Amino acid sequence: MKIALINASPKTGRSASASLLADLSAFLSGSASLVEIGLHDATLPGQFLQEPGDIDVLVFACPLYVDGLPGHLLSCLLQLEQAFVTGPVPAVYGIVNCGFYEGIQAETALELFENWCRKAGLVWGGGIGVGGGGGLDQMPSSKNGPKAPVLHALEQLAGEILQKESPQNHYVSVAFPRFLYKLAAQMGWRRSIRANGASPKDLGRTPSAPTPYPPA
Amino acid sequence: MKLIITDLTQFHIPIEGEYKLIHPRESIHHCVGCFGCWVKTPGVCVIHDGYENTGFDMGCCQDLILISQCCYGSVSPFVKMVQDRAISYIHPDFVLRKGEMHHKRRYKNVISLSAHFYGDPITDREKETARKLIAANADNYDGQVGQVCFYRSAKELEGITL
Repeated sequence: MKIALINASPKTGRSASASLLADLSAFLSGSASLVEIGLHDATLPGQFLQEPGDIDVLVFACPLYVDGLPGHLLSCLLQLEQAFVTGPVPAVYGIVNCGFYEGIQAETALELFENWCRKAGLVWGGGIGVGGGGGLDQMPSSKNGPKAPVLHALEQLAGEILQKESPQNHYVSVAFPRFLYKLAAQMGWRRSIRANGASPKDLGRTPSAPTPYPPA
Repeated sequence: MKLIITDLTQFHIPIEGEYKLIHPRESIHHCVGCFGCWVKTPGVCVIHDGYENTGFDMGCCQDLILISQCCYGSVSPFVKMVQDRAISYIHPDFVLRKGEMHHKRRYKNVISLSAHFYGDPITDREKETARKLIAANADNYDGQVGQVCFYRSAKELEGITL
């Protein structure tokens, strides 16, 4: 079985999507041939267009952007709509992480993947909505740590992918109290804005009427 | 003020009252997830391509109207990229609303969010997803949902008044 692990985060370096795919690949390795593909831009990489025919499973991982899929990924999905018209029909799975605590907030984004599958003639396998995505790439992949429920869901998804099952979507959050997650996020924003030479008060700044770009 | 975000390059829809139109006049860069609009230049996107001030524009409007091709129940890539680049409309801090985590407001205005989707065919399932998406957007903007309408073509939209 050939599985394409598609990192659809706009970030090319560290990201929650990359971290989730790394964890998933640990559960899949040895049982399938894994191909890593990055969709970090609005244009499909040539790698994807050259050999779509021999891929059995596509696993997309992306962040939740404004309650849906990131704009650059929508652009890629439109370009991919016709890519699988001939040849075997791959199964598609999705992993959507959101900065909010509740994984259920990714429900609509997973539905968009499912609707894309219907339009592209692919088989929707199901997905995971992961809450608490803000800290995922900094958490150890330990089954006793805050990432434990996420790892459990990924392990379950790996089993379903290998069995070619089509379960319902799963929604998980990190094992970390919501009020502490909120506090940690807010401390993080204050640390970041200080590192940029501004004050935490500036986080709530409302800009004055902007100068059109490029300036006259 | 009405803020209209559309993927239509040729816009022939009558509009009543004061408005600002954001449409594809220059190529747009997608959001890169840097959060610079929250922690470097709060309120303004750090990518200067002509679309960096949408968060500010949203802070000045009463009606936010999306006019877009329906893509699987979502707005189109252009409209979505404009929305993704405008998260500075909200504040990075979290609040709880309706039992869920959302972002705090940056601006005082309460947006009424409407959407006009075009495309043929738009399946019932895609319509359902689109309604959920717009409702979720309104929740995250701490605003209200206005109309969510569907049309077979962009031409059909010319018969309405915004």
